[in-house]
Amino acid sequence: MEARLTQLLKGTLDMCLLATIAQRPCYGYEMVQRLAQQGLSLVSEGSIYPLLSRLQQRGYIEGYLVPSTDGPARKYYRLLSKGDEQLAQWQAEWESFAQAVSQILKGARSDVDPRSAHPQPDLRP
Amino acid sequence: MSILDQHTLSQISDLSEACARYWELRGIAGKSRKEMQIELEQHLIQAAMDGKSLETVVGPNPAAFAEAWAREMRPHVSRSSVLLLPGLAYALNVVSTTTLVQHLFAPTSSFTLTLFAAYLLVSSGLGTLLLPLAGFLAGRIKTRTGRSVLLGTILVLGTLVARSAGMRINWSIALLSWSWPLTFLLVSLAAVLACLECWRRTSQERTLSGQHVRLGRSVMTFAGSVAVFDLILGISSLAVFNACTLACRVF
Repeated sequence: MEARLTQLLKGTLDMCLLATIAQRPCYGYEMVQRLAQQGLSLVSEGSIYPLLSRLQQRGYIEGYLVPSTDGPARKYYRLLSKGDEQLAQWQAEWESFAQAVSQILKGARSDVDPRSAHPQPDLRP
Repeated sequence: MSILDQHTLSQISDLSEACARYWELRGIAGKSRKEMQIELEQHLIQAAMDGKSLETVVGPNPAAFAEAWAREMRPHVSRSSVLLLPGLAYALNVVSTTTLVQHLFAPTSSFTLTLFAAYLLVSSGLGTLLLPLAGFLAGRIKTRTGRSVLLGTILVLGTLVARSAGMRINWSIALLSWSWPLTFLLVSLAAVLACLECWRRTSQERTLSGQHVRLGRSVMTFAGSVAVFDLILGISSLAVFNACTLACRVF
């Protein structure tokens, strides 16, 4: 169960990070906390950083340092216009994908009678 | 949220240092590397204050985490080759100063670089370069002493295995031998490399002090390190060769 969830999260984490940053600029640990509040707990919290770097390299987000009173400057991320366009595209893709999967799963629950689940031989000539 | 003890802070610092050294070896640019290290360190501190383990942040394999992040940062081999400069500068300065001292104070016309001296130079260079990577074990072996004991044990066991497999090394064997003119050339080359290394250090240092102060500090650190290494090389060479001679006489 946990392994499946991890795999699902792996494929969607970059999109979730982009959506989180789109709400308001934030730093790494804050993102993890916000994802956890929404019900997404990461097995390895640091796995967000390679993805943030990838999003930054592709020009979807940018990082900037904010001076801190209690230590070194903290790196925040904000969304760029290219990232906004990409997020809209990913959202559309995800909604269509999730709807298709949802329909398949609903169909499997309502249509199939487990007692007659075995395939019947085709007796037509 | 709790206040962290010194022990946890040193674990975090060792782990972030290990990642930074790994990124340096992988050829990540200095500015990006520094930012990555700060970002990781801050995350680790906040996670620890919330009662989470280091593993929660970097996973069960911190080296794999460091590599995954490095891959996204466009690493470049040429940047990691910059690490060769300090190694070469130190090695050449140690060898040339030792040669100079020997030419001046010993009644020999030529200098010989033994296998032992070369081994000491190479192993200390590699040790300085790779030892911070032991910080990857900070999640599993919590203290620096524990990690040092593990590395020492591996080294001793490796030596014992090599000895029992019949491996014998003649440490006093001469690798290279040269006389005065080449020593002059070596000293000149060493001085050029030392200048380059000090300049590199000064330009990398981000402090409020003036450039002359930073340059002076770099030169003093460099000269001090070379002098200390010269002493270590001389004393350990004498100790090893006297011990070997004594062992040969006894057995």
